[in-house]
Amino acid sequence: MTGFLRTEAGKGLALSAPASLYVGLLVAAPLGILVAYSFWTQTYVEIDKTLTWANYLEAATDPLVRHLMLRSILIAAAVTAVTVALAYPIAYFIAFRTHKKTLWLLLITIPFWSSYLLRVFSWKLILGFNGVMNSALISMGLITEPLTFLLYNEFAVVLTLAHAWAPFAILPIYVSLQKIDRSLLEAATDLGLTKLERFIRVTLPLTVPGIIAASLIIFIPTVGDYVTPSLVGGSQGKMVANLIQVQFGPANNWPLGATLSLVVMASVGFVAILFVILATALGRWIR
Amino acid sequence: MTTQNIIEISGVEKRFGTFTAVRDLNLTLKEGEFFSLLGPSGCGKTTALRMIAGFQDHDAGTICIGGQDMAHIPANKRPTNMVFQSYAIFPHLNVGDNVAFGLRKLKLGKAETDARVAEALEMVELGGLQSRKATELSGGQRQRVALARALVMRPKVLLLDEPLSALDKNLREAMQFEMRRLQQKLGITFVMVTHDQYEAMTMSDRIGVMFKGQLKQVDKPEVLYARPCSQEVAAFIGGMNFLDAAVTREVNGKLHADVQGFGPLSIDVNPNVARRGPQLLAGIRPEQLEISAQKPDGYDGYLQGTVTNAAFYGENVHYHVTAGGLPQPIAVSVPNYFHTVDHKQGDPVWLGVQNASVIDLGAREA
Repeated sequence: MTGFLRTEAGKGLALSAPASLYVGLLVAAPLGILVAYSFWTQTYVEIDKTLTWANYLEAATDPLVRHLMLRSILIAAAVTAVTVALAYPIAYFIAFRTHKKTLWLLLITIPFWSSYLLRVFSWKLILGFNGVMNSALISMGLITEPLTFLLYNEFAVVLTLAHAWAPFAILPIYVSLQKIDRSLLEAATDLGLTKLERFIRVTLPLTVPGIIAASLIIFIPTVGDYVTPSLVGGSQGKMVANLIQVQFGPANNWPLGATLSLVVMASVGFVAILFVILATALGRWIR
Repeated sequence: MTTQNIIEISGVEKRFGTFTAVRDLNLTLKEGEFFSLLGPSGCGKTTALRMIAGFQDHDAGTICIGGQDMAHIPANKRPTNMVFQSYAIFPHLNVGDNVAFGLRKLKLGKAETDARVAEALEMVELGGLQSRKATELSGGQRQRVALARALVMRPKVLLLDEPLSALDKNLREAMQFEMRRLQQKLGITFVMVTHDQYEAMTMSDRIGVMFKGQLKQVDKPEVLYARPCSQEVAAFIGGMNFLDAAVTREVNGKLHADVQGFGPLSIDVNPNVARRGPQLLAGIRPEQLEISAQKPDGYDGYLQGTVTNAAFYGENVHYHVTAGGLPQPIAVSVPNYFHTVDHKQGDPVWLGVQNASVIDLGAREA
């Protein structure tokens, strides 16, 4: 036994054992249970353990599921696009325009020092009927009635999440910008390019990996986000995770909930892979 | 044939804060010339090159390229192209797209772009490698791609920043000859920055030697080697023995001087030297000295000493010889004819030198 632990393979296994155990117990096992549940059915109080495709059939045909699914993906896509678009200039500034990189990186992580829930609630306070935004606009005399389109819709969800995810987008994009050899930019200038052309033909393609990383980090958890839509989304901001929560809670239909979870996972995986392929191809297309 | 001046630099100065990187730079380069800026690291040679390229503004003076003042012309509009020290090959593009990078901006059409890329790659002996990935290239190939990418733009001046320093010795020597051949074939002015004296000497028509931001001497390699203008230039290019000498008289361009260790010798006046005084610094190249166990015939000056070090270098043998009254051992380099080291450590030897081998380096620097 001690002999085996001294070999390279033994050392590797020993070192990765805690993590493997953790992942095995807390990810793989629950996932297995989820898969099992998705093929069972709920009778009033008990679980019918005969294997059936019924739940999948229901998930595929129910218009509500399809509607919420599509909305979740669209909202997640919007959140991703807005966050990455806003994060890129900040990352660019930190990478190229300042010498106080550490200070700036520290500053952008400050939102994390307060709890996620607290931040979502803050947006509620800002965007609400009697919130900061409306009172400010009214006191400035710009509007007479409070604006109602600020809160409890998709817009509020996108805004809140874009703020929450910002550091997750800034960091990977910053790293990919930071990695660019400065002489590549000089070479592009030397070969006659203006700053804008240089950005499009050198900087942007070289930061595609950072953009992909940022997008996936944001898109994947957003599709399944449950807290933000329930707090600031209202009825038109509800997403598929809220439906899943209903299955596990009030509706007490765990098998359908399990099925929906797996369908969401598969859809997210599919969209993510499609996105990576498209973004990589786009990066290659620019010459 | 009259050759035009392609680059005219006068009174150029560059400061970084309180540090003056380049001071009072004056230099005129002719069309089709291979010019090297040689100096130790931090001497301002790269800054000078970057000012010509337009990556750095100059604080004073003028830089003219092809008769046009470059003061307000940004790097991307200058008739120069550069080969970077790191080669700066775009990692996301293949070889063909790297070379075509600047051409695409000119919108020449696919046929002409492709033809010029093929021609440029052919020129650097990478013909047909258009679709090779940038990440799959060897060091030498990267250097060739960088060269092709710059030359395909047909610049008036090609700037090279330590172009060979990243290559191993054999490849570097092969590339020296190849770049020289290419430059002569194309007739483009090459301006190369290097800290390698041999590289500068083997490739260049003229060399400018820089120290501490100042251009000290501009000359052909042979002149630079035979008639360096000062002790620091002499020490930087090739090996050199420095000996104190007392000038007794000067007649018809000859200095009669009593050279430390070797006695009275007649030294040709070096026109490149500015500093004058009764105390002269004489220089003797190690390969210009004769070393022998017996007193050799036919020399103008002799020195008797003891071998303190003998080292076999392959193509030649290096000796260190000490003699009473000399502060430093004399370095001697002898071609290797018979694969033998003739003198061992501790052997008594004679050194012989001709008048013509002694270089006048002016008054000794403080």
